[in-house]
Amino acid sequence: MSPLFKAEGIVKRFGERVLFDAASLELETGNGYVLIGPNGSGKTTLLRVLAGLDSAQEGKLVYRAREAAAAGPYPEPWRREIVYAHQQPYLFRTSLADNVEYGLARRGMARERRAALAGEALAWAGLTARHGVPPHRLSGGEKQRAALARAKVLDPVLLLLDEPTANLDGEARAQVLELVRALITESHTVLIATHDPEIIRLAILTRLRVSAQRIEVAE
Amino acid sequence: MIKRIVFALAALLCAATAQAQTVRMATTTSTANTGLLDYLLPKFRSRTGITVQYVAVGTGAALKIGEQGDADVVLVHDRESEEKFVAAGFGVKRRDVMYNDFVIVGAPADPAQIRGMKDAAEALKRIRAAGSAFVSRGDRSGTHLRELQLWRAAGVEPKWGGYYLSIGQGMGTALIMAYEKRGYTLTDRGTYLAYLKKTDLQIMVEGDSRLNNPYSVIAVNPSRHPRINHAGATRLIDWLTSDEGQRAIAEYEVGGAQLFFPSAK
Amino acid sequence: MDLLEPTRQAFALLFSGDRELWGIIWLSLWVSVAALALLAPLCVPLGFVVARIHFPGRRALVVAMQGFLSFPTVVVGLVLYLVLSRRGPLGAFELLFTPSAILIGYMVIALPILMVFTVAAVQGADSRIYETARCLGARPLRAMGTTLWEVRFAVTAGFVNAFGRVVSEVGCALLVGGNIAGLTRNIPTAIALETSKGEFAYGIALGFVLMVIAVGVNVALAWLQGEGGLE
Repeated sequence: MSPLFKAEGIVKRFGERVLFDAASLELETGNGYVLIGPNGSGKTTLLRVLAGLDSAQEGKLVYRAREAAAAGPYPEPWRREIVYAHQQPYLFRTSLADNVEYGLARRGMARERRAALAGEALAWAGLTARHGVPPHRLSGGEKQRAALARAKVLDPVLLLLDEPTANLDGEARAQVLELVRALITESHTVLIATHDPEIIRLAILTRLRVSAQRIEVAE
Repeated sequence: MIKRIVFALAALLCAATAQAQTVRMATTTSTANTGLLDYLLPKFRSRTGITVQYVAVGTGAALKIGEQGDADVVLVHDRESEEKFVAAGFGVKRRDVMYNDFVIVGAPADPAQIRGMKDAAEALKRIRAAGSAFVSRGDRSGTHLRELQLWRAAGVEPKWGGYYLSIGQGMGTALIMAYEKRGYTLTDRGTYLAYLKKTDLQIMVEGDSRLNNPYSVIAVNPSRHPRINHAGATRLIDWLTSDEGQRAIAEYEVGGAQLFFPSAK
Repeated sequence: MDLLEPTRQAFALLFSGDRELWGIIWLSLWVSVAALALLAPLCVPLGFVVARIHFPGRRALVVAMQGFLSFPTVVVGLVLYLVLSRRGPLGAFELLFTPSAILIGYMVIALPILMVFTVAAVQGADSRIYETARCLGARPLRAMGTTLWEVRFAVTAGFVNAFGRVVSEVGCALLVGGNIAGLTRNIPTAIALETSKGEFAYGIALGFVLMVIAVGVNVALAWLQGEGGLE
């Protein structure tokens, strides 16, 4: 069966510095992947290229057998199915519910249905009690959980998470970890860039390592 | 160092006392805009050494300035207001100086068809009926007051749509606005001639006796305010009504035409 | 000179609902608001684009806009007068000495202010805003809207600033409006006229109203921002 998502021959430079040189990876449907590598190795950049937030100098992206140049415009329809979450997520200064409903509203979903789905997602993330709190007043861990709820509610085909547990520890980290685990087992295809050993250790995940400007499958 | 300061202060004081050689006049825009004052006043100065500083506003405003004692002499053109001014004790020594006349001017196309009419009030009535643009000084100036008298004579309320334009400004501005709006206005002949090059307005109505416009000069009552230069004001009035002054007024021309006619008795 | 009496008369005028007085106030308000309302759909998206997209001449444009921020309004009036007068290129439209002329003048004056504030607001916006919106499936236009909403206070500050500038300027309005009673006489031009005529009550009344408007709008903005503005 052909892979859900392929990146081939990605070349990414920042000025003089070459981050990736003919890097490639393949993601199979329903699998979970973790992207590891030292700081500054380009994990975030790679995720952003896959998400269409940055372009590469050369290379090809293939999603569901459709091709797009990594240097060129990112196909709009992909954005409906591939969701990226920032390392430090930004929550809009409206309300928690609005944030979670945002993507659904962009799809033209009716108000009641949006609200219902958002309610479920917030409950899933354990944030129902924080309903009336202005988003910018949430703690780091709560923001991360809200961002995950916001992504999950869109039922994404491919989820790209950038360091979901970074800067979190203790209770907060454990809660986010729970959600990440849930996302992995709920048959979304997930690619997580992280340092977190607890995530890396998860047997269910295939490890992709950034090394020597390429990506290799690690054991 | 101290010496320098003393000399500087002394010089300043001298300049201040030179005020005795200055007369402040409040007058109307029609005498200023026509360039008459800039022609006459240097002659007065070389005769007497007195400098006249003037502000040009409407007749009403000029008389107000005189009332407040912010001028030593006023030169205006509305008999009714002048008489009230003197009767109230604000002015003394009123003398006739000169006269010119008002004319109704308008766009060459003459939308209200008043060209050549001899009755100024009827002409205004027609302008109103046609709904043409009419610019009014709106500033209680001599011109404005005469305009209002004519409306009264015509039995017409001067207000219609957005076409009766009351601007609260001087004659020159009114002419330019009448030109821009392709309408009419009442103006003294002198300012009209001075502005010939700036507009394409033409004289529509003239000669009606109600369009006569006499100017008077009045000295502000010195007993009402301190520091009125009554001596200077008197010398100015005397000169304006003297043979020399009257001749100068008659000589003044714009575009080859005499604007003002001496009338001192 | 006793100013107490004219001040008392001023308030009497205001509260008596003097038609002429309130007509002047209304003109000031509606022309100022209309100018900003007409500019908004142009300046706000344009400001967004200038802030985020690099195009040749962008820097020159931004510098020029900054330069025009304090452009003397009387010169705007002068140029507009020459353009709109019968001898000028747009004379055929007969716009001189109409409220429309003042409206155009206000738009010219407010344009650089709105642009500069919007550009600054968008440049100051967290880069994650636009990206998050896009990642959640928003089209570029919608993502622009979301970003602008997130920086709405900074953008609104531009409108408040522009409003304050046009509602109180006198040079341009006087030149291209002509201060015609009931037509183009607004608060600042009326104050200039009435004061020069010695009608202090009128001048004081209008001055007071102008002050309330200018200060009030700024206070309202600060109030609305609440905590959001003070981060």
